[in-house]
Amino acid sequence: MSQPSVASNNGFSRRRFMAGTVSAAAAPLLASTAQAEAPVIPQTKLRQPVVTSLRINEQPYELSLDTRTSLLDALRDHAGLTGTKKGCDHGQCGACTVLVDGKRVLSCLSFAVMNEGKDITTVEGLASSDGKLHPMQQAFIDHDAFQCGYCTPGQILSAIGCVNEGHAESENDIREYMSGNICRCAAYPNIVAAILQARDETKGA
Amino acid sequence: MDAAAPRPKENMGEPLPRVDARLKVTGQAHYPADLPTANIAYGALATSSIAKGKVAKLRLDEARAVPGLLDIVTYGDMDKVDKPKFGNSGATSIGPLHDRTIFHDGQIVALAVAETFEAAEEAARLIRAEYEEEKPTATFDSPGTATIPAAGKSPLFKEDVKAGDFDAAYADAAVKIDQRYSTPTQHHNPIELFSTTAYWEGDQLIVHEPSQNVTGWKVELARQLRIDPAKVRIVSPFIGGAFGSKGPMTPRTAIVAVAAKRLGRPVRCVTSRMQAFGTQTYRAETRHRIRIGAGKDGRITAFAHEGWEVTSRPDAYVVGGTSATGRMYDYGSVLTHVSLVQADRNTPGYMRSPPETPYVYALENAMDEMAVALGMDPVEFRRINEPKAEPIGKKPFSSRSLIQCYDQAAEAFGWADRDPKVGAMRDGDWLVGIGCATAIYPTAVAPCAARVRLTVDGDVRLQCGSHEIGTGVRTVAGQMASERLGVSIEKISVEIGDSSLPPAPVSGGSISTASVCSAVLMACDAIRTKLYAAATAEGGPLAGSHNEEFELAGGKILAKSGASAKVGDVLKAMQVGAIEEYAEFAPKGATPEALKKLYAGTPEFHGGEQDEDSVKYAFGAEFVEVRINRYTREIRVPRIVGAFAAGRIMNTRTARSQLMGGMIWGIGQALHEATEVDRRYARYVNRDLQDYLVPVNADIKDLQVILVPEVDHAVNPAGVKGLGELGNVGTAAAVASAVYHATGRRIRDLPIRIEQLLV
Repeated sequence: MSQPSVASNNGFSRRRFMAGTVSAAAAPLLASTAQAEAPVIPQTKLRQPVVTSLRINEQPYELSLDTRTSLLDALRDHAGLTGTKKGCDHGQCGACTVLVDGKRVLSCLSFAVMNEGKDITTVEGLASSDGKLHPMQQAFIDHDAFQCGYCTPGQILSAIGCVNEGHAESENDIREYMSGNICRCAAYPNIVAAILQARDETKGA
Repeated sequence: MDAAAPRPKENMGEPLPRVDARLKVTGQAHYPADLPTANIAYGALATSSIAKGKVAKLRLDEARAVPGLLDIVTYGDMDKVDKPKFGNSGATSIGPLHDRTIFHDGQIVALAVAETFEAAEEAARLIRAEYEEEKPTATFDSPGTATIPAAGKSPLFKEDVKAGDFDAAYADAAVKIDQRYSTPTQHHNPIELFSTTAYWEGDQLIVHEPSQNVTGWKVELARQLRIDPAKVRIVSPFIGGAFGSKGPMTPRTAIVAVAAKRLGRPVRCVTSRMQAFGTQTYRAETRHRIRIGAGKDGRITAFAHEGWEVTSRPDAYVVGGTSATGRMYDYGSVLTHVSLVQADRNTPGYMRSPPETPYVYALENAMDEMAVALGMDPVEFRRINEPKAEPIGKKPFSSRSLIQCYDQAAEAFGWADRDPKVGAMRDGDWLVGIGCATAIYPTAVAPCAARVRLTVDGDVRLQCGSHEIGTGVRTVAGQMASERLGVSIEKISVEIGDSSLPPAPVSGGSISTASVCSAVLMACDAIRTKLYAAATAEGGPLAGSHNEEFELAGGKILAKSGASAKVGDVLKAMQVGAIEEYAEFAPKGATPEALKKLYAGTPEFHGGEQDEDSVKYAFGAEFVEVRINRYTREIRVPRIVGAFAAGRIMNTRTARSQLMGGMIWGIGQALHEATEVDRRYARYVNRDLQDYLVPVNADIKDLQVILVPEVDHAVNPAGVKGLGELGNVGTAAAVASAVYHATGRRIRDLPIRIEQLLV
């Protein structure tokens, strides 16, 4: 499942597609003139797969995707990287957090096609190739910063993002800036302890 | 040692890290919707937008026109499948596609299946229902409710407990209170979404679904599908939080299995967060009336607890927490009564400490009020009403360390520094209050089977059809094998979460550690017996030694005499590659059919209040500090201490984490969680994690868990009391007590929110 899927040839260039979606997306903002503009592409064509190039964990992927596919579903259902979790699909729980160009992003709120050419890091890409865990992963084990483990990939990526943003300078900061990641098992004090442990090593990682 | 790994005290196991920790931090722990499945089709549910009436017509044309749509399963398509049953393995008797009657809002009306998730979602949204709508009954006080006595309506709630003459004792009491309390509807909201993936290999059905009850589901799903249970396999290796929500199977499972059969291809349906509110179970809203009478010396003479609970029209789900509250203190006389209030709602179900969370909240809030009425210290008030035997059947407690818990938690918290006067403690603009309450949870245990294999290389393979819902059962089961076989935990692999393994009971009622570890203990001890017999046989490495005490450690048999033999050498002498033992554990008092019932997915529970010799509970005491802003009335819980005694602690790390999570749940019960019901439409309003509030990281600051040593050999062979549902009991009452202390306002209806504290 980790092999990139082969793009289907639907005779539909990314360039034309992007032009179409940009116009369609802009329409509501141009209320007075929008009505006069017909959509550039008929709606049925929006459902046709589009080849999207993503760089995930330093590997290139070419995925043939319905344009409505979220980055989260692209990772899970098309790239076979199920470490990223779906907890709400509404940007309310944080379980789907990944790093896009180093910044934490809720992958359920981002269409996959919006991430064309970007660098995406998921939980599968954190440990080094020799199996050594990222300091944040090790700290989560050391401090038992999870129980069921479902929110954990999102917590870990969010924690790395939080440290790199400079929002892990105090315990209160960590609590505040990690509050977008819900842990229903409620391992919060252990998550804070883990981030404190891994903070300095993460900055250098 | 850091806080996450408390140093073990007497009768406590090592804080080993979870055996599956690496899988969980690397994304390699595969939850059911992650399991690789080829050629999958995606399902999406369409649900009703009314709560009562009939589906007159379903228009599918628009949905069918969606490119990529493969099938729609709806009315008529489940006719060759039996309706679900309500019980331990079934969430409801409502067969949503068996007839067109709508019993509640958000009831399944169809499943759309398509080539992609996006197409399935689009099609499901285009399914148009026309209804014959009736006015629904939402909850308490809505027109059209029916109220019936709860006793006898559930096998788990046989009677309204009572003792002595309450009326006379209450009438004579010098000090008394008579108050009403309420708790709201709550939804479990585990972060893992509910999902079903089903596929058929010939006549064999495989289902990947997060489950706390794989054996029960196998049998119930086979019944619905009219096939042999041996042809059904439920696979659930990791569960992303459960809290009771994944105990009973919901009607979706059979619908997805039927869709997979019709298509001849795997179908996966991941329920949306919003749809889960109506298609899964929830904690019923409850109301309570409590009367307590006492002498001026603080000794309680009369206790009455009446409860009312909302349930669905067709299913009598009983919360019924009076069995525990009626036995908590030395009351003198006890009167209880529980009623069910039927409304047009989906059927409620088990949610973390189902009876105790609401009922003990009411009791403990009332106890605090009574202490105030008596002018007594609330800890002292509990101390003088500590019973020697429980008041209903006059049975002793198998062990009861409540006072030790109070003493240790009080000391750690600094209770002695509390100024008891209301409003006396302030810190700038913050009103400070301190409160406490008791936690209790019945200690039950159920039959369980396990298989353990020890190989000549010293590797151990442990198999048990229990469930890893985050409690750490995989770790503690491995730890038990490690202790008994003298093998390091790294050499032990634990297989769990699959109905093809030896059966374990439902992972509910905090029975798993006790039940699983007892079965693993038996299997390991059978291996020990074989090893020792072979080692001491003629020609064996310990020949001549008989019936001696021995230990297994570091891969060796160590006899008390000092002689030792390598386990590998003993197996070689036996000329075998491995010893494998299958063990069936049946608790004391189990019926002759106990194991048969385990295999049938209907395990017997023993312990709690049911045993003849004693009642069995775990106890704890929780202390909280609240801060309330004098202007905004913002409420914070900056500090909480809980002390708990629960028999043998298998692993102090996983035990602490469960209790900590429970205490934070308790804070959520106190301040955050409530599913709001629109009374006009009997509809849940806040059906997502933005509006259904749960504690987040910033809500929790200083939290301390104290594990109080306790030895109890009566509960089960492992000596373990469950604690996964102990930590969240009582917390909300402790918060209410602290809010009173800070403000002088007694809040009786949960959750406690800013608006209740505004003048």
